[in-house]
Amino acid sequence: MTQRQVEVPVIARVEGEGALHITTKDDEILDLRLEIYEPPRFFEAFLQGRHFSEVPDIVPRICGICPVAYQMSAIHGLEQLFGVQVPDGTHELRRLLYCGEWIESHILHIFLLAAPDFLEMHSAIEMAKEHPELVKTVLGIKRVGNDIMEKVGGREIHPVSPRVGGFSRAARKRELDPLLPRLEWALEQMPGIADFVATLPRPELPRQTEMVGLVHPDEYGINEGDLASTTGRRFTAAEFEQVSREEHVAHSNALHSVMVDTGAPYFVGPLARVNLNAGQLTPVATDVMRRAGLSVPEADPFFSMAARLAEATLAVEESIRIIRDYRAPEPSMAQVTPRAGRGMWVTEAPRGALYHRYDVAEDGTILEAKIVPPTSQNLRHMEKDLRDFLPGVLDRPDEELTRLCEMVVRNYDPCISCATHFLTLDVTRL
Amino acid sequence: MIGLGNPEAGDDAVGLLSVQLARPELTELPGVEIVQAGAGVHVIDLLQGIEAAVVVDAIRAPLGGRAPGTVVRVEAGPEGLPAEASSSLSSHGFGVAEAVGLAAALGEVPLVVFIGVEVAELTAGSPLSAPVEAALPALVAAVVEEARRLAGP
Repeated sequence: MTQRQVEVPVIARVEGEGALHITTKDDEILDLRLEIYEPPRFFEAFLQGRHFSEVPDIVPRICGICPVAYQMSAIHGLEQLFGVQVPDGTHELRRLLYCGEWIESHILHIFLLAAPDFLEMHSAIEMAKEHPELVKTVLGIKRVGNDIMEKVGGREIHPVSPRVGGFSRAARKRELDPLLPRLEWALEQMPGIADFVATLPRPELPRQTEMVGLVHPDEYGINEGDLASTTGRRFTAAEFEQVSREEHVAHSNALHSVMVDTGAPYFVGPLARVNLNAGQLTPVATDVMRRAGLSVPEADPFFSMAARLAEATLAVEESIRIIRDYRAPEPSMAQVTPRAGRGMWVTEAPRGALYHRYDVAEDGTILEAKIVPPTSQNLRHMEKDLRDFLPGVLDRPDEELTRLCEMVVRNYDPCISCATHFLTLDVTRL
Repeated sequence: MIGLGNPEAGDDAVGLLSVQLARPELTELPGVEIVQAGAGVHVIDLLQGIEAAVVVDAIRAPLGGRAPGTVVRVEAGPEGLPAEASSSLSSHGFGVAEAVGLAAALGEVPLVVFIGVEVAELTAGSPLSAPVEAALPALVAAVVEEARRLAGP
């Protein structure tokens, strides 16, 4: 019997640090462990004893890619607890800010992180040499998302204007209007980009799973709504911890989420949202979804790229609508009076549902904070997908096996950073 | 002048800190804009429409071999940045080196000077490690000197 060990230094293009260990014997997986080192736990401790007004400046530091998501779950949760009535127009301005993050994060993931995998290329740099015009176009679209975030949130390390109660400074319409022609240009590009995505060779991983995301009666759920699942669950953010529970696993200090009643993993993210809310996609987004080859229901995780593109398109269309009709909230912020109690909220980060819970004292001091990021909700499912996917490809050479494992993990758009820096992979063949 | 990093992750803050400390001197130079960013991926956007950039970030040699606090300076060529910058710790594994490489592949790369600082401590919530703290004054001086050189007389 031969024994081999393969170590590959980095799963690049994944936020954060972790390691994947696989031990195989013949065609069987003996052991598979995805280890993640996860500092959101640090932030939960760091928030204790802080005044509620500091929270919107602390939580965006958890992730350099989705700071808005962290701000939004926190701000909404605290506003709900304090019974704040935000000024008219705040909802739309927040949705615009969030759309900017969706555009930037989704385009980044599709073209710079995931597409090179599907094309069996080593990096986006290689892809840029092969498809320079496409890459220039998508970078232009990504930049529009980035510029929305700057105009609405401010040009700092993280958005600085979102506050509990509204915005410290609300963007003026004349500041947002110059984005319109660029958004319209971006929207025109989307169908052609969808046609390109449809040509990418896509691996298959048929599966049954429960997909969870926000649903809202009037709009595609981003900031507000109840949670629903593809197996018919319906619950509120306040019930989140009764429905989903985090398990400690021996091999990782990250927590894995499972459903309380079944003990089974579930799946959050763009594909879950599209499955739940396809009827609320905007017109071009609906066209883009079809062109990219996705029709719902669909649970194969490799359709996530098509779902991301549909959502990026939705975010562009929503941004156009919001800017056209925009009237700056006046005043930009409501008065906020803290009260003791517990606030809970879920918003949809680009990579999936993000739950925050705050226990607050009467004077507004945070007594306890709880954050359940989308990546930790998906971790158990990532391991399951790897176990399901690998048996069909175990005969491949180590280099290719490594690439395939990376592709399965990266396809989730994991934000392990929320942790640290490298994901190393080692495969032991017994 | 682009400082990168996470202010709450030990030595990962060093790029942000150095640019912040150099700010009083940098603001006196003509044509210099100071940007602090959380993730290296944002460098893609920042390289647009500029003549030159200095990027300061935390780095970690994948196999060790550099003492913590070591300051590395490299310039981008037609193929992007040399290997030293690819151990940049920026988010999503798509960091400075990838951003510059992408611009280079598209034939749109400006002059980029990368200054990296080898890190020791990246635990969330920890302060700068002693060797990185000790390297900070020289780093700030290097940042200012680089900006002076590029900003011209």
